[in-house]
Amino acid sequence: YNIVMRNWARKGQLQRINRLFSMLESVGLWPSLDSYAAALECMGRNQSSAKAIRRCVQQLKNDGFHVDELFQKCLFEEDEKEKVLRAIRIVQPNYQLPPPPNPQTCKSSLLWDFYSKKKMVSYPKLDFSVQELQECFQQQLEMELDNTITIESVESTKPLTPQAIKARELLATLRSQWHDSILQALQKSKQSMSKLKMVSGYNILYPYLCLLPDEEYVGIMLQILNTLSPQGESLAVLARELGSKVYNRYITQRKLRSRQLEKVQEVYEDYIHLLAKDSQPNKYLPREYWEKLVAEAGFGPSLNLKDCSWPYMLLMRLGMHMLELMVQSVKVPRNILNPRLEPRLIPILYHIYSFRSSWQVGLIKPHPIFSQIMSDAAETLLTFNSSAIPMLCPPVPWTSPHFGAFVLNDTKLMRFVDGAIQHQLLLEQCPPVNLHPVLDALNQLGNCAWKINQPVLDIIISIFNDKGNEKLDIPPPISEAPRPSAAPSNSSTWNKSQKHELLLCKKKTAEMHSLRMDALYKLSIANYLRDKVFWFPHNMDFRGRTYPCPPYFNHLGNDVTRAILLFAEGRPLGPKGLDWLKIHLINLTGLKKKNALEERLEYANEIMEEILDSADHPLTGRKWWMNTDEPWQALACCMEIAKASRSPDPAAYISHFPVHQDGSCNGLQHYAALGRDLIGAISVNLMPCNVPQDVYSAVAQQVEEFRKKDAEQGVKIAQVLQGFISRKVVKQTVMTVVYGVTRYGGRLQMEKRLKEIDEFPEEYLWEASHYLVKQVFNGIKEMFSATRDIQNWLTESAKLIAQSGRTVEWVTPLGLPIVQPYYRSRPTVVSSWKPDTVKQKNAFPPNFIHSLDSTHMMLTALHCFRQGLTFVSVHDCYWTHALTVDIMNQICRQQFVALHSEKILQDLSKFMLEKYCRAPMLICFPSGSSSPGRETRALWQKKLMEQLSNVPKTGEFNLKKVMDSTYFFS
Amino acid sequence: GPGILTRTLLNAGVRVVALESNSAFLPNLQSLENSLDGQLKVIYGDFFRLDPLVSGTVKPPAMCSDKLFETMGVAAVPWRADVPVKIFGILPQRKERNTLWRLLFALYECSSIYRYGRVELNIFISEKEYKVLTAKPGETRAYQALTVLWQIGCEIQLLHMEPWSSFVTNLKNGGLAVPKSTWLPNDHLCLVRLTPQQNLFIGGLKPTNSATFIFMVKQCLAKPRSRLTDRLNSWSLDNTGKLLRELEIPKNAESRHLYPEDYRRLFEALQNSNVFSETWFHDEVLESIRNINL
Repeated sequence: YNIVMRNWARKGQLQRINRLFSMLESVGLWPSLDSYAAALECMGRNQSSAKAIRRCVQQLKNDGFHVDELFQKCLFEEDEKEKVLRAIRIVQPNYQLPPPPNPQTCKSSLLWDFYSKKKMVSYPKLDFSVQELQECFQQQLEMELDNTITIESVESTKPLTPQAIKARELLATLRSQWHDSILQALQKSKQSMSKLKMVSGYNILYPYLCLLPDEEYVGIMLQILNTLSPQGESLAVLARELGSKVYNRYITQRKLRSRQLEKVQEVYEDYIHLLAKDSQPNKYLPREYWEKLVAEAGFGPSLNLKDCSWPYMLLMRLGMHMLELMVQSVKVPRNILNPRLEPRLIPILYHIYSFRSSWQVGLIKPHPIFSQIMSDAAETLLTFNSSAIPMLCPPVPWTSPHFGAFVLNDTKLMRFVDGAIQHQLLLEQCPPVNLHPVLDALNQLGNCAWKINQPVLDIIISIFNDKGNEKLDIPPPISEAPRPSAAPSNSSTWNKSQKHELLLCKKKTAEMHSLRMDALYKLSIANYLRDKVFWFPHNMDFRGRTYPCPPYFNHLGNDVTRAILLFAEGRPLGPKGLDWLKIHLINLTGLKKKNALEERLEYANEIMEEILDSADHPLTGRKWWMNTDEPWQALACCMEIAKASRSPDPAAYISHFPVHQDGSCNGLQHYAALGRDLIGAISVNLMPCNVPQDVYSAVAQQVEEFRKKDAEQGVKIAQVLQGFISRKVVKQTVMTVVYGVTRYGGRLQMEKRLKEIDEFPEEYLWEASHYLVKQVFNGIKEMFSATRDIQNWLTESAKLIAQSGRTVEWVTPLGLPIVQPYYRSRPTVVSSWKPDTVKQKNAFPPNFIHSLDSTHMMLTALHCFRQGLTFVSVHDCYWTHALTVDIMNQICRQQFVALHSEKILQDLSKFMLEKYCRAPMLICFPSGSSSPGRETRALWQKKLMEQLSNVPKTGEFNLKKVMDSTYFFS
Repeated sequence: GPGILTRTLLNAGVRVVALESNSAFLPNLQSLENSLDGQLKVIYGDFFRLDPLVSGTVKPPAMCSDKLFETMGVAAVPWRADVPVKIFGILPQRKERNTLWRLLFALYECSSIYRYGRVELNIFISEKEYKVLTAKPGETRAYQALTVLWQIGCEIQLLHMEPWSSFVTNLKNGGLAVPKSTWLPNDHLCLVRLTPQQNLFIGGLKPTNSATFIFMVKQCLAKPRSRLTDRLNSWSLDNTGKLLRELEIPKNAESRHLYPEDYRRLFEALQNSNVFSETWFHDEVLESIRNINL
């Protein structure tokens, strides 16, 4: 009703609005604040009589609202706010807008310091002038206004073959034909839809096909056609992509039309004064500054758009419809590559079903003729959504769950699993001040400026455009794919092994294709950015783990992508910086893991010659760097060390190189700290030690002890396993225990490891893996006793909560509300959300731990900023300049101690008791059993209450010790 | 199990080879074997893990069919010859459908047990699967790809129906481990005889091209309500209308309306056109058998 009212208000049709008001009444609904805003807007537009307005205002008050609330709570577009105000001033000439609410400050004890005004420091400046940043912003804005950006791929330097020229010409002709036939099909389908008067299910799409000019829909469909891989894609994925492309363009349009963009532009231009080097220093956080500017701007449209998100089902249906138009209209002459055939148009897209045990998946595949032309043409232009490219200006700071990151592209603060909206509601209901720490941390991570390490990029591109190199993780081109040896032309005469060989080749080719494309995207984006400074806006998943928004090229990527990234800001190495670079290099090699930092440094100095050789002759020298764990980052580091050590004063050398510090088995670190497990704490380096402890070796040792005992007692499998238990065998399982691996999954991991050992007798694989996983679990239980109790407590609590028909929710120590988005079946048309009990239960412990590690990271990020450090993270791996590694390490430890000094488990217990034991329960009993009586219900209530109150006891590890532990993060 | 079926068969006077997959039951069966004069042979093995798909050595109770037939002393006979051996058993409920598919592939490829001729299966299957196997065109939910393929492949006879309540289980709650069935009745266990058709491989269908046939039927019936013409058009067939006219299939027929024999005729007609060899079709067929047959 309100949407319709608003649109009549825009047209000044007061009569219509009045009629809607009476319709509201007739169906038993009450006008909301937005309804009154629409009515008053219309009156302001029409310059209605004071009497009418007075009556309206009176009715508003009778319904329990206040005039001020109109301006505090409603979202406005275009000139709506002015018109409402005009109406109000007709009856109250002296009416003044209510003052903006006083900014609130976060009360979390962990951040008391951080937000205290007394200690406020000026926000660090970027190495850009206001003028320069404005130009950056313009570039970014233009890119986003276009919605997509087309860039040269790194393959464009290859010479063009005559075959490719021919194929490209062909493709150009075909595309213009396709364009026409899609356009025709679209218009025909719209026409037939518009004729339908009945409200049939399909007809609901009609308005959504009229939002954009027809040409734009056609453009979107042609774009999808270009990116379709020869292996095809699932119907659902393609439909969602098409649907969201339409949605994104619609949003852009709406932001333009509602003049929201204009206002963002205005505010942003002032905002960059906070960051630019030639402006006054300001003691504001980006979010605070932005909010202040918005409040000062006063009039005009709101920055948030009103009810603008589309439900998942709508996106899917719209996409499906467009997909079907493509399948039906895009055709190619069958004889285009083989003139012997008779000419006839055949569709280039087809539906096919793939069967997986009991269910089937619908796929769309391109006809081989199309794939052939595409591969012959070897086109070197790549088109991306503008949100796939890192930002060319500092991101818009997050100020609410709906606003932040890109200028125009709609970005969610929290990523979501298809269709789930519960977390979004939770964020909306949460008092804004509780989100401040999280928003500020995300802004902090997003404000880090980056640039490209050009020499490394050039070497990588040269290998990529040559033949690739699987060992160095540069995917070879498809031309290098294996071909079946000899295949008779008639496939029906093939024998089993020939078929098998062909299938293996096809599988390999398909894998190579996707790896190659992935690398092509990353490198091409990097190449496009080679002379630019850029930013990664961040958002987070439902547990608060942070991610850069641009999907292909970012610092979370593999070794290759990380190696080509540098901080745009340079800092001198300082007295210890060169040493840190060297230690970092050794860390990247994977060598000397068990040695102390001094020994790693010593080792680096010993092999200085190799390091310099790698830096000077990466491809022609002795290639030391190639045989390391992370070869490309190692190479980049070698080059940095070479440059620094050759500079006249290494301490003054300006370095842009990020140095990493890794948490050692971070999940177990949090568990050990939660449970204050002494032995566990030692094994994951919470205790200061001279050399790094290795939890995997420790568990392997423990398992070996168990095995020996069993072997002595004549257990056959324990005897068979003699000499086979090593760190490598247990590592994966120990690592994943934290993340809730089950015995079943653990056994599969063990089997894989044992299979890798050639000497291990195959017939014992099953029994041995079974035995091993049991012993690993026992070993962990022995070392991390409180940890296991906590894990069980979390699991058991989640089980009872899920069984009572509710989802597991909690709040992180930073105040971020979390809800587990696991439901039994995806809602189709009618949404009925029932929690998936098994997933709710099994996933709770790991999700809880992840919410803690993200909290630790955010705390570290915020406090690093207070100390003026550059800081970014890859979950439990923290990056900063070589100069500031020591400070970052100290902050990281302080914040870990501070975090775990909170009563985390008690707070969780309290929160859950409040949440789940206050309200009456709705129990979902297993179907079949009769509905529970009051007694059983009371029994359940009691059981849940007991479970939740019974917080596990902890050990006697002294948390403060972490402060002095060198290898906690290293 | 404890050998009830085995004893019944022995009492009927036939020669029995018993496959036992659980070593706990072996000693009892072996003593029975010794007490009889060669009428019974007991083998440690699992019929439902015959010819496992994974490569590498086969570990008991999984076993290879050639080993089994060698031990049984049964030699391969031509397809059109009489039934060389009869098999009795109960399909494990948990992987009933999988087993039915696997047997079907073996049948159409003349591999595994069907390498030895038209082996007759006498198996207990759940009523819901029986309903699927014997469904008629147009029966919503029951008429599936599995229906078409089994009906073309075998003569299907119902020998006996036994209510589930006759069976005792060891489940804690005393219930039956019977999978729930929403759409089809499932109150019985059905003893069904599946005898491969003698004339399965006359005409265009051969063990070498049968994978294409299976693929075609599965693709058609993936969406039972879709029109056959749409399907054929998207396979880039030259003249769909003409082909359907020749086969006397109505132009607007849906996949679920075709009789199994219609599918066979459709396949033979398509064999003569170029659909299977010149389009992407045969690539897709290869892809589809990757998981099941190699």
